Amino acid sequence: MRKLKNLATACLMSIALPLQAALNIFACEPEWASLAEEIGGDRVEIYSATTARQDVHKVQARPSLIAKMRRADLVICTGAELEAGWLPLLLQRASNRKVQPGQPGYFMAAEQVERLDVPKMLDRSMGDVHPGGNPHIHLDPHRMLKIAQLLAERLAEIDVPNVAVYQRRLENFQSRWQAAIARWQQQAQPLRGHSVVVHHKDWRYLLNWLGMNQVATLEPKPGLPPNASHLASLKKQMDDKGAAMILRAAYQQEKPSEWLSNETGIPVVQLPYTVGGSDRAKDLFGLFDDTLSLMLNAAEL
Amino acid sequence: MNWEGLDISILGPAFLAGLLVLSTHVPLGREVLRRGIIFLDLAVAQIAGLGVIIAHSFHWEAGGWQIQFIAMSAALLGAGFLYWCETHWAEVQEAIIGCVFVLAACAGILVLSTNPHGGEELKELLAGQILWVSYEQLIPMAVISAVVWALWFGLRGNRHPLVFYGLFAVAVTSSVQLVGVYLVFASLIIPALAVRKLHARGLLYGFIVGALGYGIGLCLSALLDLPSGATIVWVLAAAGVFVSILFLQERKVLRNL
Repeated sequence: MRKLKNLATACLMSIALPLQAALNIFACEPEWASLAEEIGGDRVEIYSATTARQDVHKVQARPSLIAKMRRADLVICTGAELEAGWLPLLLQRASNRKVQPGQPGYFMAAEQVERLDVPKMLDRSMGDVHPGGNPHIHLDPHRMLKIAQLLAERLAEIDVPNVAVYQRRLENFQSRWQAAIARWQQQAQPLRGHSVVVHHKDWRYLLNWLGMNQVATLEPKPGLPPNASHLASLKKQMDDKGAAMILRAAYQQEKPSEWLSNETGIPVVQLPYTVGGSDRAKDLFGLFDDTLSLMLNAAEL
Repeated sequence: MNWEGLDISILGPAFLAGLLVLSTHVPLGREVLRRGIIFLDLAVAQIAGLGVIIAHSFHWEAGGWQIQFIAMSAALLGAGFLYWCETHWAEVQEAIIGCVFVLAACAGILVLSTNPHGGEELKELLAGQILWVSYEQLIPMAVISAVVWALWFGLRGNRHPLVFYGLFAVAVTSSVQLVGVYLVFASLIIPALAVRKLHARGLLYGFIVGALGYGIGLCLSALLDLPSGATIVWVLAAAGVFVSILFLQERKVLRNL
């Protein structure tokens, strides 16, 4: 009898321990899943709601999304209204008190750092402009460094027993990331000053960091599909001034950028945009490595 | 397999929303099939959507009663026009319904060409996300369904065609915003199609087909981690085929006796 009891306790322990150990993290996008992995390691269990091939502005509702949100100890999303179409609904349906806005379990990465292009005044006619500024911050490695630190602090706040682990992993990430930034900046030197055409304004921070100029967007206004008159004026602009390349994310449709490339001879580059967007972009380091080498190749630099 | 989505508090409101939709759409769907105007609901839903877009261009608040009022009025006007077509050009009514559908859809694109936020609104309206439904949202839906149900069966004796068109517009406008146009179409047509040979018990078996479709479809979408609306449509079709084969067998047995 006693043996049986011991066995039962052992079984219970083996089930209970890993459950207690891992902090459940719900990431809206793969870049935040990857960052949480860097800082949390085996202390966290991460679920990414979207993949690199998906447009995070819109997401189809699946029961598992609600189930995962319900069990989450921490939600990491971009914020600044990027997920405005589905995250508030999901938070409401999951009704998990730990991760509601204002709670420690609610971490909006873009809202932790300064954003570019915050509009002075907002008008519906301007298109899908985010009132909180451009939310696509993860392609600036300096902002990423800041967010990593704040995320580690947040993890430490929620999961006190593992404070030392998070601190150690953060320091390890910081030193590797800083070394990588130095290498990337060296590597990307030839790109400085070049002009690019983009599909949507999701490259704002990358171009800002690399010192490149965005001279046009394929979308006439953010969020609107390219139309004939806009494409014609783009072609004319390119014939006059030119650009080094056209950038497109893995999740965006190919036709508009291919059309402009055919008309003007300017090379088009499909960049991973986030972790998982290409074979080489397996983590945050691979994401930047691959992005830079693709751009350098396209510009033949 | 993903068992954690299989939770009554996650799937419950969606299943109830499905039952409410079925309560009005199964009887209305049988009438649609009888009249042979299958695409009426697509046209009416699209007109309701156009109403919402136009309301938006007046900068009214999303989800407010004004938007609902405009959507309902637009759908009722559209349905009224299509009834008028039935009385005047009955032989080409289906073609006119098709034209009204594309015209309303394209009018929406034109109005929206300068307003991407309205575009999201329209997509929500037409694609609907049954999983986001909460119990509170079901209350107005239940009231509308009860009214439609009462008028439909209350006036059974001498029902003017306009009653059908009016109730249809009201039912579709409210359901399409909860579950989306694909599920509305499937809930109308598939159960009605599966039980078209049955008279007395047709309504009951139509509900059973529908309930099976929503119930099993929701569970499957949880287990296989698939978008719920599209999964339900496929399971509805499978349930429809299954039930009509059952009746076929039953008839064969009866004939051989």
